[in-house]
Amino acid sequence: MDCPVPQCVQRDSTTLGRKLSRARPWVQTGFLTVWLAPLGQWLHSIPGCVFHCYSCPLSSFACPIGVMANYAALVPVVFEIPYLLIGVLLLVAALGGSIVCGWACPFGFLQDLLARIPTPKFALPAWTGYTRYAVLGGLVLLLPLLLGLKGIPYEEQIVSICRLCPAGALEAGLPFSVEGFMAGKGWAMSWYKSVILAVFFGAALFVHRPWCRLFCPLGGLLALANRFSIFHLRFNAKECVECNLCRSRCSMGVKVDQKVNVSGCIRCLECAKCGAIEPCFAAPKKP
Amino acid sequence: MARHISQPPMNPATRAVERHDFWPGLVVAVVALVLLFSGARHLTGIETTDGNAAWETQLVKAYSSGGLKFPEAAPPPPPPRGNDPAADAAALDRWQRETAHATLPDWKVRIDTSANTPCPT
Repeated sequence: MDCPVPQCVQRDSTTLGRKLSRARPWVQTGFLTVWLAPLGQWLHSIPGCVFHCYSCPLSSFACPIGVMANYAALVPVVFEIPYLLIGVLLLVAALGGSIVCGWACPFGFLQDLLARIPTPKFALPAWTGYTRYAVLGGLVLLLPLLLGLKGIPYEEQIVSICRLCPAGALEAGLPFSVEGFMAGKGWAMSWYKSVILAVFFGAALFVHRPWCRLFCPLGGLLALANRFSIFHLRFNAKECVECNLCRSRCSMGVKVDQKVNVSGCIRCLECAKCGAIEPCFAAPKKP
Repeated sequence: MARHISQPPMNPATRAVERHDFWPGLVVAVVALVLLFSGARHLTGIETTDGNAAWETQLVKAYSSGGLKFPEAAPPPPPPRGNDPAADAAALDRWQRETAHATLPDWKVRIDTSANTPCPT
């Protein structure tokens, strides 16, 4: 601790911050019962709002990124506006921005659990968050469109987000491969997807939420709404003692001491422990 | 315990509160609800294999179940040559008759609502 401000050592977390921090893993666990198809595959016709592969034997909703890539690949054949997809994502984004990343996403939860393994954690520079938009524009929208123009259906495209996605490898590739292996049919998952999965697990031990920070196109998309969403974080100057607990607590590398409603934030609300950052809902101004 | 990062020089009193206005979020949420409602009632320009127009929900489900069906674009290749010239000529003649009137179907993509491929990719 080399902070010159004495309060940063002595200061206790706020009651609200402590409660939120304790509740988050349980809320994330609770959401698993929503995403993991408790009643079978019954809502695959509706895009979900979290990163969860629709090919997973346990999936309630369709993966929004997979659906988006499929729509892009279909554009040369027939142009359809994805009303449902845009509606789901806009609604979630308008209400809470990227709060689903921090509190509901099963793939984010897995990375949170992996981050609890006591290994040295490395910080990533803030600019790496922009690679998510390269993935969104290039791999999810442009590449399927270009290969679709060549007449290759999405399912047959050798390079696509679904074929490179570690969530797909873990949630769909691994169960089907294990099932096939047990039945003596060999390992179904491609070697490069197996490598991607192994690299993902390795990276998640040393970097907090590497997929979310570097590649997740869905998180990048939802985080764009962090600047206007109804639920947001507010800075209370009266409570700030310049202890920088808010920034020190942020595992996503957001410079909370400067600006908090930014695209790198997953709204885990760990920064709310300091008291100067307050979670709140926007309300109409009283005349 | 988080690694402590020293506070850079800043004055809390001059920092923006970052309070969000209510209306932009509400307007976007209302637009989203309208889109959701429209999507639920949206008949796409794609036919199902039964010949009916597909709902958008059926299209989304087709993505995850391998339900998109494309027409076979290329006609079958000519029969390979063998050792019997008469049989080869007959096979070639039969292939020419079969492919002479073969036309591409007038649909580009259809949805098989009964498809249930667990992992399309």
